[in-house]
Amino acid sequence: MKPDDPAWRALNDHASAQLRGGFADRVLRAAHGPQAETWRQLHVHAARQLRTGFAERVLRAARAAADMPSLASQFALSAATAAVCLGAVLFLHNRSAEQADARNLAEWRQIVAAVEEIDPTRL
Amino acid sequence: MESTSPNALADLVRRAQKGDEIAQRDLIVSYQHRIAGFVYAMTGRSDYVEDLAQQVFIKMIRALDRLQAPAQFESWLFRLARNTCIDQLRRQKLRRIFLPFGEEHENIPEPAGAVDTEELDALRHALAQLRPQDRALLALVQEGRSHAEIAEILSTSVAAVKARLHRAREHLREHYQPDHET
Repeated sequence: MKPDDPAWRALNDHASAQLRGGFADRVLRAAHGPQAETWRQLHVHAARQLRTGFAERVLRAARAAADMPSLASQFALSAATAAVCLGAVLFLHNRSAEQADARNLAEWRQIVAAVEEIDPTRL
Repeated sequence: MESTSPNALADLVRRAQKGDEIAQRDLIVSYQHRIAGFVYAMTGRSDYVEDLAQQVFIKMIRALDRLQAPAQFESWLFRLARNTCIDQLRRQKLRRIFLPFGEEHENIPEPAGAVDTEELDALRHALAQLRPQDRALLALVQEGRSHAEIAEILSTSVAAVKARLHRAREHLREHYQPDHET
């Protein structure tokens, strides 16, 4: 079968009809990768996402952030609060333990005195 | 800031370091579009651009007094931007572990008309296929950073930057199909 046979021509026509318009341009773009113009479009698109007054909003947010306590100072405050709470718990625990000891001792003294009254020879 | 001389930029940075709000504002206005472009190249999400750019500039204002060499301001600012974007992408990845949403819920495609051209859509798609570190590399090159500056920003060697850049460009070309199906 020769290349100029109608069947070959029909096959070529059918195959080339499958290629969408701008095929050569697309091949060249894919082969060369993105051009500088495409990168420029990316920057333009990104810049459009910033609303008017961006710089003022950043400065306001930076001022607000500066007024907020730092992470370290928040941590120090939390640690100090925890230490005070622990100290208070230990103090109250010691005080109630001492009171209980004093109460028990007084009761024992009463028992000893009662025993002495009943049978002084046993002591 | 392309039209400003290095001396004028260093002077502006020094004034901003002293707390001069006009100088801080000038720095933001000068760099906001470039930072927005960098953030978009890194995340591929229009809805992240303003939030992340704002975070970058707030970090800039808070850390400016620690910048030793005002002449290095641009490299330093883009390092802040890169770290902010990578942190955001990490947080997003971490959130995916704990939340019952699939990746498809988070990576909702840009609405029709949000992206202007087929080429830009293809570039966004191709960038999304790369690792964030490679996206940062390509975006920094587009920003006109030299290999030495990029090496400093990424804390690596110039040779490593060249090798990674070559690979990143190859990957970008592989994925860059202007008629890709989204």
